Amino acid sequence: MKKWICIICGYIYDEAVGMPDHGIAAGTRFESLPDDWTCPECGSPKESFEPYVG
Amino acid sequence: MNTSTATEGRVEIDGRIFNPYSKDFIRSPWATWEKMVLEYPVAWHKDLNMWVVSSHDACAEMLKNNVFTPNYKAWEHAPPEKPEAEKNDFERSLDHGLFATRTQDHLRLRKLAMPAFSKPVMGKIDAKIRDLVTGVFDEIGEPEQFDAFSMIAEKLPVRAIARMVGVPTNKEAFFQEFAVSVIKSTRINLPAKERQAAMQTSLTGFAYFRDLIAQRRAAAHPGDDFVGSLISASEGDDRLGDYDIMAMIQAVIVAGSDTATDLHTYAIQGLLSNPEQYRLLRQRPELMENAIIELLRVGAFGKMPQYRFASEDAEFRGQHIRKGQSILLNLTAAWVDPQKWERPRQLDITRRLDGNLVFGAGAHFCIGTYLVRVQGGLMISELMKRFPNAELVNGNGDVEYDYNHHNARRINRLLVKSNARQHVHPAQERIIHDATVETNH
Repeated sequence: MKKWICIICGYIYDEAVGMPDHGIAAGTRFESLPDDWTCPECGSPKESFEPYVG
Repeated sequence: MNTSTATEGRVEIDGRIFNPYSKDFIRSPWATWEKMVLEYPVAWHKDLNMWVVSSHDACAEMLKNNVFTPNYKAWEHAPPEKPEAEKNDFERSLDHGLFATRTQDHLRLRKLAMPAFSKPVMGKIDAKIRDLVTGVFDEIGEPEQFDAFSMIAEKLPVRAIARMVGVPTNKEAFFQEFAVSVIKSTRINLPAKERQAAMQTSLTGFAYFRDLIAQRRAAAHPGDDFVGSLISASEGDDRLGDYDIMAMIQAVIVAGSDTATDLHTYAIQGLLSNPEQYRLLRQRPELMENAIIELLRVGAFGKMPQYRFASEDAEFRGQHIRKGQSILLNLTAAWVDPQKWERPRQLDITRRLDGNLVFGAGAHFCIGTYLVRVQGGLMISELMKRFPNAELVNGNGDVEYDYNHHNARRINRLLVKSNARQHVHPAQERIIHDATVETNH
């Protein structure tokens, strides 16, 4: 399971946690998120995310 | 008629519809904002000589449209560009700033700088500024009443940011002057002479930070604080230059000092005006981050929040915006847009805030967002701990405004009745909490 960071706002998407409040189950890979998915914090597109090691 | 449809079909308004400088507006902007949002979501303001975009949807669309840049130099009335050799530190930092760079350079800067601004790093700032927060409350003591503006809001943000960027606390006044002068230097609602004077004032601050960066670069290790993180930031062989870093420091100061002053007063005003929400937050501190965003949304303290400039001629929601024209992004109106939010003026710290524009949206989303949340969260936690039964004096804190503030509906007096010696029995607090939860559902 990896983490991804939005380089615009710093929001971290943790695959292990998902986003249950938004209907994205724990364990959902970043690659499996819809292409039109946007950062829940700043609305930036999926391309704004990069793998995060922290 | 206050509005006319110009020959080219332009929707126009004037100061009779929206006057951000009027005392009535500063005290109570709600009716004006509702009218703007519902009747004039995009309009040319004949007196301000700029476009005003007010509804939630229109603001969100413009924030994500790169044709509308925050780069002040794209403004038709911007000072002429100087030759590189004649530029001072302010102008060079502006060139390297997040608002001025082109899309690719902007992404590069965000990518390099993000580790220094990310939530985990900002979480560590918590430990670094916690003593400042407790210190501010120690200075208040346990009086019958105190002024939240002068005792908290005016002191805390500048001390916190100074600590974060490595300015000694005895230089607070210098730092405050730098912060305000940086902001005023590009405020297009100010006269050109005032902008120029502010820019000159800012130069001593830029010199200070240029020296600080040089010292850190010369050291064996640049340090693991905010400035050190920026110096160390790298992507392959790419690193941030001195002016990139100075521009970032400037961005943090803008986000975290003068603006955060209003965060504190309006957060206290919002919570103490809604005692059931104050109680709920004490019961459920996990709501803190949501509460801060909601307090900012409802407080809506911006007078003329943000600007954009058309980088080319553009059609926007049926209006023709000419290259170089300025646009007031009336975000505070958008935050209380009834088309987006149910009961928009009601504070509800449990509200789902998906899609909110409190920190903007898109490429220029506020880079200091987590810093603001950390600082606000620490202050509110301490307020709840020290003064769990606080109230506003006479119900409104005998509130006063600085009607001449350059940017905000600045509250410069908010009297809080501490009720420091009152204690609510835990069982009673529980009953109140249960009743609140029931009411909200």
